[in-house]
Formats: sequence, C-alpha cells, structure tokens
Amino acid sequence: MVRAKVVIRNLTGLHLRPAGILCNKAILYKSKIQFQTEHTTANAKSVLSVLGACVKSGDEIEFICEGEDEQEALDSMIKVVEDGLGE
Amino acid sequence: MFKGTNASAGIGIGKAAVIKEVEMVIRPDKVASVEAEVQRFRGALADTVAQTTVLRDDLATKVGEKEAEIMNGHLMLLADPMLTSGIEDAIKKDGVCSEYAIETTCTTYADMFASMDDELMQQRATDMRDIKTRLQQVLQGIKPVDIASLPEGSIIVAKDLTPSMTAGINPANVTGIVTELGGKTSHSAILARALEIPAVVAVNGVMDNIQEGDFIVLDGSEGIVIVNPTDVEVAEYTAKRDVFLKEKKELEKYIGMPTVTKDGVHIELVANIGNPEDVAKVLQYDGEGVGLFRTEFLFMDRTSMPTEEEQFEAYKKVAVGLAGKPVIIRTLDIGGDKEIPYMGLAKDENPFLGYRAIRLCLDRKEDIYRPQLRALLRASAFGGIKIMIPMITCLDEIREAKALIEDVKKELDAEGIDYNKEIQVGIMVETAAASLMADVFAKEVDFFSIGTNDLTQYTMSVDRGNEKISYLYSTFNPAVLRSIRNIISCGRKQGIMVGMCGEAASDPMMIPLLLAFGLNEFSMSSSAILRSRKMITEFSTEELQAVADKAMSFTTAKEVEAYMKEFINQ
Repeated sequence: MVRAKVVIRNLTGLHLRPAGILCNKAILYKSKIQFQTEHTTANAKSVLSVLGACVKSGDEIEFICEGEDEQEALDSMIKVVEDGLGE
Repeated sequence: MFKGTNASAGIGIGKAAVIKEVEMVIRPDKVASVEAEVQRFRGALADTVAQTTVLRDDLATKVGEKEAEIMNGHLMLLADPMLTSGIEDAIKKDGVCSEYAIETTCTTYADMFASMDDELMQQRATDMRDIKTRLQQVLQGIKPVDIASLPEGSIIVAKDLTPSMTAGINPANVTGIVTELGGKTSHSAILARALEIPAVVAVNGVMDNIQEGDFIVLDGSEGIVIVNPTDVEVAEYTAKRDVFLKEKKELEKYIGMPTVTKDGVHIELVANIGNPEDVAKVLQYDGEGVGLFRTEFLFMDRTSMPTEEEQFEAYKKVAVGLAGKPVIIRTLDIGGDKEIPYMGLAKDENPFLGYRAIRLCLDRKEDIYRPQLRALLRASAFGGIKIMIPMITCLDEIREAKALIEDVKKELDAEGIDYNKEIQVGIMVETAAASLMADVFAKEVDFFSIGTNDLTQYTMSVDRGNEKISYLYSTFNPAVLRSIRNIISCGRKQGIMVGMCGEAASDPMMIPLLLAFGLNEFSMSSSAILRSRKMITEFSTEELQAVADKAMSFTTAKEVEAYMKEFINQ
C-alpha cells in the first residue's frame, strides 16, 4: 500500500467535470484507489463517491493505492490533480 | 398576465407546447427471478447510455462542446460502479423490480447532493433525478417527450426542464420557454441564453393556467408572460420583438469598431468581471479589456484562504484570455458584511464604514495582502495586468500599499521570478475623502477608477439597500455629479487615466455627461458594451459641453434626470 498527499487547486473544487477526469484516470489502474479527506474516505473510481466527498479548492486529500500497480497509480493520480484536472 | 424571473432576453410569440411528464407509479413489486431482473436493468442501462450519447452529440454540434458537457456528466454517472452496483444489490437483496431499485438508489444520491452546502453540487441533484426518470421510462417503454420535433413557433411550457429535455430543443422551432420552477442560473436558463431563446422562469401556477395550444406572448427581458393576449397586446409585443431583433442586429455591427467620438476622442470601453469564466463574454461583446476584475470570488464559499498559487492561476487565466489588453484587477474588497469564517472577521457595527478592503488588507499584510500582490505581480508577466486598490481614504494608505508592492517586487527579483516591472498601480475613487483629495492622490498613482455605487452611498450618506431612503440614492444628485466632475478634472490635469466602473458608466443618461467631463475609460457589464459603443460614437465631446453645463446648473437630482432624459430622447 502506498499513499501521498496533494492539495486541490481547481477554483471550484472537485465538481462534476474534474471528478470525471479524476475517475477516468483511476479506472485505468488495477489497484484499489481511494482518497481521504478530513471527513471521509472516497473511492476514486466512482464519480458519485468523489462528488460525495465534497472537496473544495484548497483542501488537502491523501491518495491511498493498493494493488499490483499501486506506485504507478499513485504517481498518476498526483499528477492529474497537479495538472489542474482539465482546468 | 404572469410575472416570473427574466432568464433570457427577447420577445417570444407563439403557441404553447405544454410538456407533461407521464406520471409513473413506482411500486416495490417482487420479481420471480432476480437474475432475469438484473439482466433487464442492464439492458435498460445500455439503452439509456445510447440515448444519452445521441443527445450529447446533438448538443455538441447544435450548441457547443461546453453545453454538451452536462450530458457527458450524465454518461459518467450512468457508468458509475457505485450507482449500478447499488441498484443491482437492491434488486438482489430485496427481490424488487428494477424501477423500484432505481427509485430508492437514485433518490438517496439526489438527496445527498441536495443537502450539500455548495450550489454546484446541489445542481447535481437535478441530474440524478433526470437519470432516474430516464432509466425508469426506458424500462416502462415510455417514450421521452420529443421536444426536438415540436412545430415551428412553439413556446415550451413546463414545470421544469430537465437537462436531457433542454438538450433536445431545436432553436429554429422554439420561440420561447416558460417554466414554473428554476432560476437565472438553472441549467435551462443558461442553455436558453446560449441558444438566444427568450425565457421566463419561476412563473407561479403556470402549469395550471396554460393549456396546450394557448396563444402566448412572453417578454424574457422583463419576465412577463401573457396567456391568450388581446390583439392590442399582440401588436404591442410584435413591435417590441421587431425592435429587439433590429437593435440586436444593429449592435452586432459595432463588433470590431473602434470606440471614438465624432470629434475623434478615443474612449476605452472595457468590462467588469467577477471570475475568469466571464472572459468569454467580454470577448463575445468585443470588450477592449477589463476595467474591473473583482477578486472576492476567490475568497468566498470556501474553508481556507486561497493560496498564492491558486490566485496566480486565476489572474493569469484572465490576462492570457485578454491577450495583452488592459486587465485592471482590484485587490480584495471585503469586510464585516460578508460571512467568511476562516478569516475570523468580527461583526462590524457599521461594515461599510468599518474594517474592510484596503484597511483590512494593510492590517493583515502577511496572510492576506502579500500573497495576493505576489500572485498579481507574477501574473503580470502574462498580460496587461494593472493593480487597483479599493476604498482609499487617505494618502498614507496609498503610500503604504505602494511600499508593500515595491517590497514584493524586490522579493521576486531576488527569487529571479519574472513580472512586469512597469506595472501600473491605481486606486478606486469612491469615498468622499478621496474625491476631495483627488488632486493630491493623482500625483501618487497611475490611474483612477470611479466607483459610482459607493461614491453615491458615501457622498449622500445613504445605505443603498434601504428602500425607505432610496430617494437619496441617485448618481444624478448635484453633489455626486460635482464630485465626479472634480475627480475627472484632477486626474486629467495630472495626465493620468480616469475610468469609471460603477453602474453609472453604462447609464445612457449619464454617458453624455461623463464624455463632457473627460472620462477616458468606461467599464461595465459585457452585455452593455455594444449599446454604449454605439452611443459614444454618435456624440461629439465638444458639442456635449453645453449639455453638461446646463445639467450642472440644476440644483436637484430630479431636474438633472428630467433634463438628461429629454436630451437622450431627442
């Protein structure tokens, strides 16, 4: 299991479009991919779960990946967030 | 006649096409084979995905990729493993039909979204309910209302338009939209504006009072709906529609034209914006830059201070979007009237006379002002950014803010970070004190921008939100006009640019006076730009001097207003 923290920079937080981009990236990997916020844990492969976490701009989240391609998955998730999730 | 919210401008005249959803009765019916029921659900899901894909592609070609995004969102939700496995689990566990499993699962998520304290998230509840209904309709073999094939001259009348319904609208045939629910920012209102279809939303009782085929007249600019109008009303609104369309066409001619008065005075006609997304509208209406970018949005509706990096991205986006045109960014203008828990602002007895704007920023340099100024300076390397300081009342504030800016510049130099070394720094002139000291302040800054809303409020000592004293709140008060004239003249004498970013800058009755006073820059909402350009190009500042002299000879706001009204109606 590997984990890493990242700050959400999108102005509107993780709303539908950025959440979709996040999930589309997550489903490319075999590992289980989750992230933790101050209040909850979300499944990064489910748009509903990501939206349900209600992540706002400036919030820090921690990705937790577990599985055969976990390191690759984690690097990729951090990068997609740092690249601004399409914004 | 019905009153509602004006959601999309223009006049619509036509026959009512009342959109009624077939009422579905969803019961927890038991199924014989759970496995067969899961297969039935999967089949319906595949059909719904196919339908949604068609809607998405239609919308992308008819309106644009941006508008089609909402359907992309629906596709993502339909593909969500939590949603589909939730529905399948409900079928297996309770042995109920797919319709009921969909009802309970989707409603749970819709309620979750509806309870979130974020407007964008709340809108997802609408999407969730839309998906629910479409899945159930597919299962029940109910054809969705076919909005795409409505006859020419139709006025859509509906309780509310779901995103999937609006996606099917053909603007060639739909001349208006009336809904009982919704608001200015609801999905149907946004799409109506993108399609330029007149629309009135939030009209109470409209579904009970309009029948299929009723003759309807609607005014999307005023928010009025008339059912079965008289001949006189039809004639009146037909004339209004023709004027609206003619004006719209005529104004389009002004796209790309320079804003120059008849006697050759060049005016800068720029836009007020509230967030980076507004840039598209500025470009659509041919704004020559941004005269006021309010930065408050970055600080509102969140739980922590925006970082320098976040601010930098937002400012850079606007600077790049305007491709080198001037972009005046106003530093944080916030105080005790706004609820921002993470800033820890105490309630102010008199928020508009209290701890706000530059007063607050200079008191909290390290956590608020320095990061904002750093972000602004860094972004200035990417476009025509100018810094504007709000609510200045005395010289010390100007000097202290400028010293901080110089300090930040040194910091950036030391770090080897690029920025515009010649960046202009100006002030909002919106307090009585700043107006009286305008000749002195003009020597210290690169430009003035007159904020007429606050200037009127502070000059007349009138709370603009209090209806009981609204008779005092007029920019045409001679006291306010004298103040404006003085500010412009002091700025011009010193050779600095003087602009205006309050509502008065786009007021047709005020524009002739401001031109005569010598205002250089007019900043307004994007949609007012072309109308103002047309007006400015029809005047000569020399000829307007006599009008201004006459207007300034009056001693009450009423007289000035009456005179200016008569003048522009000539």
